[in-house]
Amino acid sequence: MNNSWLNRNTFHYAEFRDLERLVAEKKKKKISISLCLPTLNEEKTIAKEIVIMKSELMTRYPLLDEIVVVDSGSTDRTRKVAREYGADVYEAADILPQLGHFRGKGENLWKALYVTRGDIIVYLDADIKNIHHRFAYALVAPLLLYDGIKYCKAFYDRPIATGEKKMRSTGGGRVTELVIRPLFSLFFPDLTQIIQPLSGEYASFRNVLEKIPFPIGYGIETSMILDIYERWGLDVMAQVDLEKRVHRNQGIKALGKMAFVILNTFARRIEKQGFIKLNKPTYSEMIQYNLVKSQYQADIFKIEGVERPPMIEIPEYREKFNIH
Amino acid sequence: MDRYLEKLPSMVDAIKTIKEIIIANIVLIGQIPSPTFKEENRTRIFMERLAEAQIDECTTDEYGNPIGIIKGTSDTKPPIFVVAHLDTFFGEDVDHNFTVKKKTISGPGILDNSVGVGVMASLPEILRALDIGFKSDIVLVGDIQSIGKGNLRGIRNLLKTWPTPIRGAVCIEGGELGRLNYYSDGMRRCEITCSIPSTFRWIRKFRPNAILILHEVINQILKMRLPQKPRARVIIGKIAGGVDYGEIAQDATLGFEIQSDTDKMVKDIYRDIKDIKNGISNELEVELQLRTISSLNAARLKFNHPLVKSAAEVLKKLELKPVSVSSETELSIFLFHKIPAVTIGITKGANYHLENAVIKIEPIYKGIAQLIGILMAIDSGVCDEQ
Repeated sequence: MNNSWLNRNTFHYAEFRDLERLVAEKKKKKISISLCLPTLNEEKTIAKEIVIMKSELMTRYPLLDEIVVVDSGSTDRTRKVAREYGADVYEAADILPQLGHFRGKGENLWKALYVTRGDIIVYLDADIKNIHHRFAYALVAPLLLYDGIKYCKAFYDRPIATGEKKMRSTGGGRVTELVIRPLFSLFFPDLTQIIQPLSGEYASFRNVLEKIPFPIGYGIETSMILDIYERWGLDVMAQVDLEKRVHRNQGIKALGKMAFVILNTFARRIEKQGFIKLNKPTYSEMIQYNLVKSQYQADIFKIEGVERPPMIEIPEYREKFNIH
Repeated sequence: MDRYLEKLPSMVDAIKTIKEIIIANIVLIGQIPSPTFKEENRTRIFMERLAEAQIDECTTDEYGNPIGIIKGTSDTKPPIFVVAHLDTFFGEDVDHNFTVKKKTISGPGILDNSVGVGVMASLPEILRALDIGFKSDIVLVGDIQSIGKGNLRGIRNLLKTWPTPIRGAVCIEGGELGRLNYYSDGMRRCEITCSIPSTFRWIRKFRPNAILILHEVINQILKMRLPQKPRARVIIGKIAGGVDYGEIAQDATLGFEIQSDTDKMVKDIYRDIKDIKNGISNELEVELQLRTISSLNAARLKFNHPLVKSAAEVLKKLELKPVSVSSETELSIFLFHKIPAVTIGITKGANYHLENAVIKIEPIYKGIAQLIGILMAIDSGVCDEQ
């Protein structure tokens, strides 16, 4: 493996600070851009993301054409707050209801394809405490400025906000280093050049996203990389250093569940591509144990393993976007 | 004057139409830690925001205070200053990420003074949106080294070196909306530290306790007879010391502030406290250090000064009741330089100096209208008549 892609297609957000240039390029290419924020109980962070993006990338520089929140059924005031700050807010269950509803980030991203209008869609997690408009413009920039690039992913330092309101300067990325990177090394060594394959921030053209399947849950980031790589190759991808991203730290058990889902997604793809053959079906339950009053109790997490088909195969979508 | 007073209430709604820009500036600047003496990062971001707002000129002075200038139409009128200090009470290791909700913004330093700085950085765009221009240049200053041990060094240095006369100034603080400060008491902020050498352990059966020694200092300060006129008081504001419940404290520090209408009274009280310190030090054979952290001269505008009267009219027009107390802010440095100035608050909030400080969003728009009203008053000449 050579790392020429890493050198060629890795950028730093500061290279794209000239927002006037990005807006001019967008106008020249007649491209529209949607920002999508998938949410589930994000009332503490959603307003800040919307207000900063709207101020900087809509009012000041008209780079974004819409901000869309797709919510998984928050029980806090996420939807109300997002509406108050001017985002278009949808409940995932209300989008294409005839196709049913699953709860998960991947489901929200998939349904967002139906309700957004943009030629480019930027997905940002809604729990970014130190949100800055670079999170959106730096992901869009390579798509606007480099003709071959169709998908751009974020990487960053990952300080963690601890309970004492203090910052720990390192941490996070455990699932990447313990699960994803070993798997990439085994099966797709080229993809090890992606610094943070699990980052929740990426942008891509609609005509790419509509052609790939979306697992409904945590597996979406992994599947997206594998599917784009398989269909279009590594050179259509890019990554951008966004420097610091402050996020909520997750406990080891939550990361275990995430790893379980990702392994499941990965296994399907390497089987489909002929790397392995599973002679028996795998199980769909992640079993963890908790010590409760001197007794070990099983905590069972069941994954449905559902994947949504490429959106372009959905008749309602084809009709809405005039695809014949 | 009545002409612009009439416009003020409608301005509030017009300002609200660009609320995203105002909130974004408050958040993007306020989330950058800026403890006193370490304001470089916030200075850089503040200047970036001014540049984004396409301000006419943007620079730093020799001392490092960031300055933006909104050019006026007159070549002869002196500039009007708007000042908000950049430093906060919180260290770099504190999580400065704010939480924005429907009606509030919360986070460390938001009230003192990130909201003031954010509003100031938004001023070029606000004035553009309202289509308001001034004859004077409006000089926006995010002064550094203001609070605590900074002792207003930034603004002192700026005014010492500023080359032209200054027409008037408005100092902005996060809270509270309705404050209208136009005088500063004389003030001296001091620390007394008591350190017991560890050798005491071996040579004395009853080792002195640093906390109890400072307790005696406090007792003697409280026994001082202070005059009713000029007004004077000593505020015991901070105390710290010791390491553990069962250990005799070897170190302790007392922070206090002397305040009075007159500089002479501040000086006299300081001298008396110094005598107390020396007496206790001598009698108990311990070392006490008295150190001045910062000081300010007493200065004031009269209540009937046209700037004060106009500012009060502006507040009343916006249905705000002016509240006037002494303010030991940049105001005192302007007044010391004989530059008419007032300090105002931008919004309402709570938990002023705590990490969970919170501001209300809605009153900000009225706070900004108030600022613009006072700038219009100064531009119309209320500071020129003295």
